[in-house]
Amino acid sequence: MSLKDLISPFYVWQRAFEKPYTQKRPIEDRPGAPRYRGFHMNSEDCIGCGTCETICQNHAIDMVPVEGLEQRSGDSGLRPRFDYGRCCWCALCVDICTTRSLRMSNHYAWITEDPDAFHFTAGTDAMPWNQNSLGYRRDDDYHLLVHERIDMQALGAEESVAGFDEVMKGYTEEQAVLEADRCVECGICVATCPAHMAIPDYIRAVRQRDYEAGLRLLYETNPFSSTCGRICTHRCETVCVMGYQGDPIAIRWLKRAIVDRVPAERYREILGDEVVENGRKVGVIGAGPGGMSAAYYLRRQGYAVTVYESQARAGGMLRYGVPSYRLPDDQLDKDLEYIRSLGVEVKFNTHIGRDVPFRQLIEDYDALFLAVGLNQPSALRIQGEEHPRVLSGLQVLDDVASGRDPGVGSKVAVIGGGNVAMDAARVSRRLGADVTVLYRRRIEDMPADPEEIHESQAEGCKLVQQAIPVEIKNAASTSQVTIVWGEAEMIADDKGGRPRPVLQEDRMHEETYDCIIAAIGQGGQLDFIPAEYRDRIEFKWNKFVPGEYQQTGLPKLFVGGDIANSRADAISAIEDGHHAARGIHRFLTGTLDG
Amino acid sequence: MANPIELLQRFGKNFAISEIHEQKADLTFFKVPKEQAVRLLRELRDDAGYTHLAFLTNIDWIEKGIFTLTYMLHNYDARHSLGMHVDLERDNAEMQSIHGLWAQAATYQRELREMYGIRFPGSPRLDEDFCLEGWDQIPPMRKEFDTAAFSLERFYSREGRGTEDPREHMKGLLYPTHTDEPSSGGQ
Amino acid sequence: MFEPNPPVDLSSGKYLKLWQGPQHPGITGNMSLELTTCGDEVVDCKTHVGYLHRGFEKLMERRTFIQNFPIVCRIAVPEPTFNEYLYAAVVEELAGIQSPERAEWIRTLNLELMRLASYLMWLGGIGAAFGQSTVYQWTVTHRDYILDLFEEMTGARVYHMYIVPGGVRGRLPEGFEGRCHEVLNRVEKLLRDVEKVLFNNVVFKARTKGLGHIPREMVDPYGITGPNQRAAGFARDLRKDAPYLVYDQLEFDLITATESDTYARAWVRYQEMHQGIRMLRQCLDRMPKDGPFQARMPNVLHWQVPAGETYAKAECTRGEYGYYLVTDGSEYVRRVHVRGPSYTHAIALMEKLAVGTNIADIAGLMVSLHTYPPEIER
Repeated sequence: MSLKDLISPFYVWQRAFEKPYTQKRPIEDRPGAPRYRGFHMNSEDCIGCGTCETICQNHAIDMVPVEGLEQRSGDSGLRPRFDYGRCCWCALCVDICTTRSLRMSNHYAWITEDPDAFHFTAGTDAMPWNQNSLGYRRDDDYHLLVHERIDMQALGAEESVAGFDEVMKGYTEEQAVLEADRCVECGICVATCPAHMAIPDYIRAVRQRDYEAGLRLLYETNPFSSTCGRICTHRCETVCVMGYQGDPIAIRWLKRAIVDRVPAERYREILGDEVVENGRKVGVIGAGPGGMSAAYYLRRQGYAVTVYESQARAGGMLRYGVPSYRLPDDQLDKDLEYIRSLGVEVKFNTHIGRDVPFRQLIEDYDALFLAVGLNQPSALRIQGEEHPRVLSGLQVLDDVASGRDPGVGSKVAVIGGGNVAMDAARVSRRLGADVTVLYRRRIEDMPADPEEIHESQAEGCKLVQQAIPVEIKNAASTSQVTIVWGEAEMIADDKGGRPRPVLQEDRMHEETYDCIIAAIGQGGQLDFIPAEYRDRIEFKWNKFVPGEYQQTGLPKLFVGGDIANSRADAISAIEDGHHAARGIHRFLTGTLDG
Repeated sequence: MANPIELLQRFGKNFAISEIHEQKADLTFFKVPKEQAVRLLRELRDDAGYTHLAFLTNIDWIEKGIFTLTYMLHNYDARHSLGMHVDLERDNAEMQSIHGLWAQAATYQRELREMYGIRFPGSPRLDEDFCLEGWDQIPPMRKEFDTAAFSLERFYSREGRGTEDPREHMKGLLYPTHTDEPSSGGQ
Repeated sequence: MFEPNPPVDLSSGKYLKLWQGPQHPGITGNMSLELTTCGDEVVDCKTHVGYLHRGFEKLMERRTFIQNFPIVCRIAVPEPTFNEYLYAAVVEELAGIQSPERAEWIRTLNLELMRLASYLMWLGGIGAAFGQSTVYQWTVTHRDYILDLFEEMTGARVYHMYIVPGGVRGRLPEGFEGRCHEVLNRVEKLLRDVEKVLFNNVVFKARTKGLGHIPREMVDPYGITGPNQRAAGFARDLRKDAPYLVYDQLEFDLITATESDTYARAWVRYQEMHQGIRMLRQCLDRMPKDGPFQARMPNVLHWQVPAGETYAKAECTRGEYGYYLVTDGSEYVRRVHVRGPSYTHAIALMEKLAVGTNIADIAGLMVSLHTYPPEIER
């Protein structure tokens, strides 16, 4: 034993006079660190996708409806409710939150005598920490989800304007699986999809490379999957939760990824071809997406279905309005052929009213579904528009689809901002013309799909925004035409509507073209319905206003498609047809009144 | 040191060594039949420098009807580990004890007895409770033991819990009639 | 190698059964020793565990790979981050993911801070076990300063959940390096005081020297690792022998002793704390200040790790800590085995060493082996 060992321990006294280390909680406040994982907060950005619930390994989160909160497209109306008897404050829910609305405060003390109090809905229940500015949130450079979309191979702009080959090449299997892997399977998109397709389920099928299961899922709600996999307006993608921090899932391309991997010959084997006839017959007017969709689902129920089509081929606007570089004919045929193979009869080149009276159909069939679409181009309503070099966009597209030369010349102006305008412009580019698109509002206001706008620009179409046509005049040559247009200013709407273009009379332009293609919209033509029936049907702006299950005031008559909805796209027509099929079945089995 | 593959090939003359897999530079897995396992462990320990038993554990391959024991050995001089697999019949699983080779093995074997029901005859205190006291269910680490079902049966949940699926919730409120498919005639 | 302790005839009236634990303050966590004593001397010892069994290995089999990340830290309460690191390491290895260099430095910093915090708590424990409670108060306070650092770095004081498969969960906070240096300086100063008060203390020396001697020959047959084996003269340390993270870029000395008793083990740990501070300073000065800290990850919600198996290990304060992971290609773990050093130290070794020890020294002996019951039971 050394003397040092005896004395050394008394060194302990040196620290006896130090200030105590203890912090005097709760007399003194001791806030958590700036990134402390304290109690949960949720902002108004939450859309109730439930991904927080999915990742919670403690089952501490329930998705519950919140009073006063309405569900709408893109928001389930549910909010996460936390059970602090189970939570471990790992913050995986914060990390995975698709909108980054979920956060944690640095508040960590909650004292109450009521043990059931530790159960609350973050963000909507009033909590003392709701306004805390500090606390854990996900670092910008840390991700548990993949935010960038997998690119799809496409023809370059030069290649694509050289012909009518399909521009988008489709995903390879590996690309499709990677893109499908990004999906969080929340299902928010299903409500927004007009056909309410089982989107998360078929995306999972892609991820699992099970294309047969995928195809069956697609056909539950959409018999135009090859078509919609290419040209759908994909409203689903606008609400996809992955879009909040990056790119939405390429839902449309993933649908295509399934159909691209199943050859047409296998459809009957995978989807079945058995039809048990029920002895009743239904007539369908129009072989577009709406009519053929109704025909498909009715046929599946055992109805004898006859479709009347005025054109020589089926497909309607998909055939005559969508150019083949977006939707190749064989892909549309793939969808149509399977429907027809089930025994759906199509009578081509048959005009109702001219070849067959409407009255005969309504009397002969147990029920009738009408989806004749909009095929009358809207007038420009300016002086001189009857000039022979003013063509309609629909006519140009129809000519090209039917193999005729629309004769657009080499310098073309397209008027309009919708998909028909974009397609007319791109078709004209392919026919070798210089193309200028005149649109009365701004480019961001264009109703056309963003991809179409982007691709038309890439292909060399010149987009002129805020350009209002004023007059059409004869040009020096009879094979040409002159347009006078004026620049517009966007004036804010006092009532809160979208800004309105106002013509600036001092900024007028005059330009001569080989032709002008008017594509500002389409209207319907319903003259073939005799007045005695028309009086019993509700119309608005020359369109049908259908009731429940697409039924009209004429109980046997169900309607759908562009002539009966305001969305005027293929997927809405498909759902109208499907829904009318449900309605017709109910009507004929006595569960839907006339 | 000898390359682990060469080493295993050398032992392979006397032992039926199979499924050699080099996971990384310092870790190699292989399989040996149950009857030869303990003899091989002794030789690896005494003749090849694998003196350290890091752990002994079991993997349940319920779909194949086997248990796979993993003996993790380490050679400090060669800085190399060997993971030795031994397959047992899942029903009535029994294995020779190695508590004579490594003292701590008795604890591992006692745990495997409790958690998987594997018997190691002769292993000290084998049948004494290890982590569990008064356990009357099947050995809980076996795959067929369902922890969620067990806890739902034994414990109660907090009142007021209940969740909704966003997709179903939106369907019920936004488009209820768009999903009532009639019974199908053809499909 | 297994030699049972000699049988005891309880009916002879010479013996007393005594339970130490599970709540005895001299036990490092909730476990108990069933002691048979003859007078002051322990003649038999059986370790009983199970008070902390939560079935983590089973729970992990029914959680996805990302869902396991928050629960693994709970397997060793005073030193949770080794679980986080090793779980991340085995998953990354089988998934073919390489965490970025910056993350590797941050992980090393995190693990060494954890080691220091854990050793501080242990140092207090060994002091208290031999009547030097002041040391306990000092060291636990200083551990709290480190927990403050963890709080600002990770968002939590104890269960950090910061080392995630793929990297780490966030960058270091603004000004962290400076505050960390400050805490290291305070701890270093404290350690010098503790050396005077504890290691140069006649009482401590008298009670710990010669206590719980582990013969060299016992080390491998009992699976003894870490400071317990280094105090027995083995120059083995995974940070040197199988460098992981950035340990091959750090300078530090491997500490050994030969006496292999309680004092030697304490002294080895004490010196390792100094080496730890040395490494931490190197980390703070040399770590990259920018760049990614997370590898590119798949969508973790349905992350499937290819079928395979591996074992990764790290040198924690108690020795070899390891994760053995078996995957089958699904979204779930097939099997995880957590190898904690206390498994053998607190059971096979403790039961052996306790025999012949004075009853008053049992707590100190136990602490000198540095065992954490939760990692035994998992």
